[in-house]
Amino acid sequence: MTRTAFAVSSAYQVSEPDLIARVLAGDRVAARELYDAHAPRVYRLAYRLTGDADLAREFTQDTFVRAFGQLDRFRGDSALSTWLHRITVTVVANAMRRVKRFRERETDLEDVHPARSDGASVDPVLRDRLHRAIDALPDAYRTTLIMHDIEGYTHTEIADVLGVAEGTCKSRLSQARAQLRAVLADLAPESGS
Amino acid sequence: MSNDKFDELMRDAAHTYNPPSEPPLDEMWSAIAPRIRPVRGSTTAVRIWLLAAAMLVIGVGIGRMSTSMRPIGPTSTPTPVRETAGVGAVANDEPYDAATERYLGQTAALLIALPASMKSGQADSQLVNRANELLTTTRLLMDSPAANDASMHSLLEDLELVLVQVVRLQTNHSRTDLDLINQAMEQHDVIPRLRTAAADISAN
Repeated sequence: MTRTAFAVSSAYQVSEPDLIARVLAGDRVAARELYDAHAPRVYRLAYRLTGDADLAREFTQDTFVRAFGQLDRFRGDSALSTWLHRITVTVVANAMRRVKRFRERETDLEDVHPARSDGASVDPVLRDRLHRAIDALPDAYRTTLIMHDIEGYTHTEIADVLGVAEGTCKSRLSQARAQLRAVLADLAPESGS
Repeated sequence: MSNDKFDELMRDAAHTYNPPSEPPLDEMWSAIAPRIRPVRGSTTAVRIWLLAAAMLVIGVGIGRMSTSMRPIGPTSTPTPVRETAGVGAVANDEPYDAATERYLGQTAALLIALPASMKSGQADSQLVNRANELLTTTRLLMDSPAANDASMHSLLEDLELVLVQVVRLQTNHSRTDLDLINQAMEQHDVIPRLRTAAADISAN
């Protein structure tokens, strides 16, 4: 996970209340500034959750349209980034139910995922199995795992975004990892672990 | 599977699981910008207030106009002060009538200038300052003999509400709110009625 994104969003937090006030007053330039500050991270999260550039773009757009439409309801109890990521996760979760139903019909046609070349030390078969196993996790576990292990959110941040207790977040992560291990167990010995 | 091996797999996944592409920021923004609705705190409440206040002004204005156009007789609504105080009181009311007439004219002028003034940010403060002054005048007139007439008192109360809303537009205003104000004023001839009310005072 890149901590750069956090650093970028922190730098904007200094003027964020002012920026929000300007957006609420109808300032389109401020709206663009706010968008520029947060869109990369929102898009990144949407992409990780969907694995599809078109869907990530669509869900990022939906997130910001919703966010700008509801900005007057943002009370500042949490960071704006947390609020935006909460909307993102909601938008993705709702939309992906439809997408998954559609994809399930296509799965048989493209049964093999292309092997990715990054991380040369990992067995491509094991990697592919892991990716499929992540895809197959229950939504709550998958979102938690992606946010924590892949995108580097803290448990506190995830708990804020998902609206659950930190303990729940930790429990879900533990469960997710256990399920992945179980799925990979039969392959691991063959990979020489 | 060992912990080390699993951790290695997860570290690999951070690079290989749905690795995000560069976000097409401009492309996404071009789709977002036209879909952004006006956002402003309590927008709906302000609109309702403004429309309600405008309707009240219109109603009272019509009532006042019809009263002033009616010949004074047994059926007309009595104005307590003038009935009890007689001719001398009418004479004493003249300065207030003049002030009220001037005030109504200035309020009408402000409401006419509202749309143009709000278009440029520089004019906002001038307009709001003027609205503030007129608000003060409104409240002074409400406590003066000029407001002894029940319908005039109601008119002043309603104008007070409108001016308060104009003052509040200083920090929160949008094109939509202004359009609604203008629409309400145009549809119901608020400005001509204010002028007529001022003219009535002048004629009396």
